[in-house]
Amino acid sequence: MKTNKILAAIFTSTLLLWGVSPAFAGDVTGSVSFTGTAPAQETLNMGADPTCASAHSGPVYSESVVVNDNGTLKNVFVYVKQGLEGQNFPAPKEAVAFDQSGCHYTPHVLGVQVGQPVEIRNSDATLHNVHSLAKNSKEFNLGMPIKGMKLKKTFDKEEVMVKVKCDVHPWMNAYIGVLTHPFYGISGDDGSFMIKGLPAGTYTLEAWHETYGTQTQEVTVGADGSAEVSFSFAG
Amino acid sequence: MQQSENKKSGLYFFTFFLAGLTLLLIMAGGLVTSHEAGLSVPDWPKSYGQWMPPMVGNVFWEHGHRMIAGSVGILTLVLTLWIQLKETRVWIKKIMWFGMLAVVLQAVLGGLTVIYLLPPPISISHACLAQTFFCLLVALAFYLSPQGIDVHFNYATGLDSENHRKLYRLFLVNTGIIYAQLILGATVRHTGEAVSFHILGATLVVLHSFLAISRVSKAGQIHPFVFRVSMGLGLVIILQIFLGISALVYTKGLPRGYAPLPAEVLLTSAHQTLGAAILGASLLLTLMLAKGLDKK
Repeated sequence: MKTNKILAAIFTSTLLLWGVSPAFAGDVTGSVSFTGTAPAQETLNMGADPTCASAHSGPVYSESVVVNDNGTLKNVFVYVKQGLEGQNFPAPKEAVAFDQSGCHYTPHVLGVQVGQPVEIRNSDATLHNVHSLAKNSKEFNLGMPIKGMKLKKTFDKEEVMVKVKCDVHPWMNAYIGVLTHPFYGISGDDGSFMIKGLPAGTYTLEAWHETYGTQTQEVTVGADGSAEVSFSFAG
Repeated sequence: MQQSENKKSGLYFFTFFLAGLTLLLIMAGGLVTSHEAGLSVPDWPKSYGQWMPPMVGNVFWEHGHRMIAGSVGILTLVLTLWIQLKETRVWIKKIMWFGMLAVVLQAVLGGLTVIYLLPPPISISHACLAQTFFCLLVALAFYLSPQGIDVHFNYATGLDSENHRKLYRLFLVNTGIIYAQLILGATVRHTGEAVSFHILGATLVVLHSFLAISRVSKAGQIHPFVFRVSMGLGLVIILQIFLGISALVYTKGLPRGYAPLPAEVLLTSAHQTLGAAILGASLLLTLMLAKGLDKK
C-alpha cells in the first residue's frame, strides 16, 4: 500500500515535470505581415534639444508604425495570453536593458517578467525623465540628468502594455509587456519573432501593436516541440 | 499728505503690475498643460536637483513656469509687507494675508501635482486657485486705485438706487457664473472629460454676459470707464467663443501626432488666459458697481 503511494507520487511528479521541463518544450516561430498601404512615418523635430538634434545626421522618424522592406510589421509584441494558468515561473535575476540613446528608447518594445529588473540607462549627454504610465503597477517618474546614469525598476503586476515616455522630449515613447512568464517574442527588422522554450500544450497567443491593436490565435506545441504561427495587420 | 498719496499710488501701480504678472503666470501654466510638460521635471522644488537646469525640450516650459511663479511669490511677499506698513484699511491688510497664504498654498499644490504625477483634483485646484489669486489682485488694485480709495466716488450716479442695485447684482452673478465656467474649463484641461458641460457653461456665460452688457449700454448716465470695460468684455467674449471652438476642433477633432501641434498649444493657452481676463473684467465691473450702493 505504501509502495503504491510512493509510485503514484513519482508518477504525478513526472507528469508535472513534463509540463514545464525544457526537455518537453518547444519554440514557437512566426512572422507578422502587413497588408495595405504603409502610412508615412512622422518626421521627428528634435530642435528643442540641440544634443538630440546633433545626435542624428539625417531625418529621424516616429516608430509608431514601422513597416519593414519585406512587407512585415516591426515592434509587434507576441505573447502567451492563455494556457499557462496555475504555473509559476520565477522571475530571472538578470535585468532587461532599456536605453535612452540619441533621444530614442532602445528597444522601442520590450518584454519583462513581473519582478524582473529593468535596467534603465541614459546614454545621452542631455537630461531625460522616464515616466512609466503603468496602471496595474505603481506609476513612476524618474529624472535621469546625467550621461551614463543607470536605474533599476521592477513591475509587480502583469500588464500588456505599460507605456513609458519622456516628458522632456515628447517624441520619446516605448512599450513594456509585463508578464508572469517568459513566453513572448517581438517582431524585428524582418517581421519574425520567436517564443522560446514553451512547454507542449495548446495556447492562445496575442499579438499587440501600438497603432493597430491586438489579434489572437490558438497554437499547439506538440511533443516534437515546435510550432509556427503568422499574424497579419492591415493598414 | 501728498507724500502719503504718492506712496499709495506706488502701491496701486505695484499691485496692478503684479496682477499683470499673475496673468502671465496663468498663461505660462497654460503653456505647460498644452505642451504636456507638467512632468518633464520630476522633482520639486528643485528641477533635476538644480535651481537652474538646462532649459531643453519641455523643461523650458515647466521650469519657466516655476521661475515666473517664484517671481510672483517674492513680489507677493513684498506687496504683503508694503500693505501692512502703509495701508490704513484693516480689511485690505487682512485680504492681503489671504493672498500671501494663497501663494504658499499654490506652490504646495504645484509641488504635489508634480510629486503625485498630476492627480486631476490637485491639478484642477492648482488651476482654480491661480484664478482666485488673480481675482484677489484685481480687487486689491481696484481698492488701491484713486477711485477705489475715494469712498464718495460713484460709477453710477445717473442710476436710481433700484437700477443701480440690479446692475450690480447682474455683474455679481455674472462673475460667479464665469468662475464656475473656469472650474469646468480646468476639468476639461486636466481630465479630458466634461466637455459638454463646459460648452453648456459657455452658452450660459455668453447669454448672461451680453444681458449684463446690454443693461450697461442702456443705463444712460453711467461712468464712461464702466461703459468701456463692459464693451471690452463683450469683444473679448466674442474672441473667446472663436478660440474655444477652434481649441475644441484641434484637441478633439484632429488626429494627434507625437506632440500637440503649435496651433493647438496657442489656441488652448490663449483660451485659458482669456478666460482669466474675462473673469477679471467681470469682477472689476462688479466692484465698480458696488461702490456707492449703500449711499443711495
